[in-house]
Amino acid sequence: MRKTRKYSEDVPFSLTSMMDMMTIILVFMIKNIDAEGQLVTQAENLVLPNSTSKIQPKEVSLTVVVDNGFVVVDNEKIVPTADVLAQDSLLVEKVNTVLQDRRQIEKDHALANNLPADEAGHIIVQIDKNIPYDAMYKVMATCGFSGYTNIAFAVMMKNGGEE
Amino acid sequence: MAKEIKKPKKPDEPDLLPAMGLFTILIPMLLSMTAFQKLAIVEVNLPERSNMIMDDTPPEPDQQALNLSLAVTTDYLVIGARGGFQPNVYFKEMWTFRCKTDAKLITYAPEDVKAAVESGHGPKCQDGSEMDVEKYIYDIETIELWAIQKESEEDPGRVIWGMYSSQGEGRPDSAYLDGANNFLALPGEGPLGLQKPAALKLPSAGTRVSTLSENSERALKPDAAASNIIYALSAYDVIAKDLIAIHTQFIDLEDVDNIIIVANDDTQFDKIIQLMDRAKEAGFTKINLAKLGG
Repeated sequence: MRKTRKYSEDVPFSLTSMMDMMTIILVFMIKNIDAEGQLVTQAENLVLPNSTSKIQPKEVSLTVVVDNGFVVVDNEKIVPTADVLAQDSLLVEKVNTVLQDRRQIEKDHALANNLPADEAGHIIVQIDKNIPYDAMYKVMATCGFSGYTNIAFAVMMKNGGEE
Repeated sequence: MAKEIKKPKKPDEPDLLPAMGLFTILIPMLLSMTAFQKLAIVEVNLPERSNMIMDDTPPEPDQQALNLSLAVTTDYLVIGARGGFQPNVYFKEMWTFRCKTDAKLITYAPEDVKAAVESGHGPKCQDGSEMDVEKYIYDIETIELWAIQKESEEDPGRVIWGMYSSQGEGRPDSAYLDGANNFLALPGEGPLGLQKPAALKLPSAGTRVSTLSENSERALKPDAAASNIIYALSAYDVIAKDLIAIHTQFIDLEDVDNIIIVANDDTQFDKIIQLMDRAKEAGFTKINLAKLGG
């Protein structure tokens, strides 16, 4: 008959290997931590282009998103991208109306807080990397027309921002 | 009486449970604050309004200005300055996809992808599966522009192959140049030069090479030499080299930091960002955008 091996009942549960694993995970997390937080978050249904830029936005700005479906201002679908491509004019009327309203609100808010209201507005434009230049140019021109002349494109840092 | 030999007692393990408890709290907290993909911004300038009083006579061209522009069309990139143009940098556009099924990269010419999509199939992955015919466009990881050597306008041209350091997965990172500031590159063999030229050998350890970065000349270390690859020379790199040379040559001019990127209506946004990156790296801090023929 085969003899079964008996184990003592008081074998302690070893946590050392678990601790090693946790320490590695902890170091990895600390390396990737973003203590400042993200002022820009990527919109859905959108692939941003990769870039070598490491410039971080300094303040929260109004965001315009241009994906394959719509032009979105502050999470509100304004006009289909196909309509923007089809029009001849550089000015996208529906987007311009929304942006001018937002700019006016920003100016009123600045005046109410004794801040200069005549400064150029800041806007971040998130554009899918496959969107044609025509749509990008029209949206950019509309932003400029409605008072948002400090325009920045959102991009994905190359290699996740690693050196 | 024989002396009893005491066996050394096994040291007690420290009580690690409190530390484990701490880790269990810390890890989810850090996980919520971790950014695996970081977003950045690229600033761009709108065309400035001129303060000049316009009349019927056009202003005299400023002989002291560089007036640099970089045009991108469907076939080539070209740098213009002071009313003249440099030779066209022809390219063949290629799309590199990352498949969701096998997480591997695969490169296709856009016309092949479009032909497959028209016949109702998505581009094929390395494992034989097909990408979603509706959403394959989101799987494009990089839009590559392979530089082409052409003898004439009618010539279909041959792909130029160059030496690159590798960023893994057989992807190119930095192009190598020799001591005379020329790319270590040769036109390819076979139809359209799609085969790597046999004459192009990877530089051995100890060979002096440089990249497009400033003061990058060095002798290749054995591990770096072993990881180098031969890959199609990027038209972006060719343009970047010219832009660096122009910026260095005309450093005394007032508008040396200005560049206008001019593009066709159907140029993908990714190409604009790649060109803006190359222009910024060459020292052009003020980038304007304009439409080709508009």
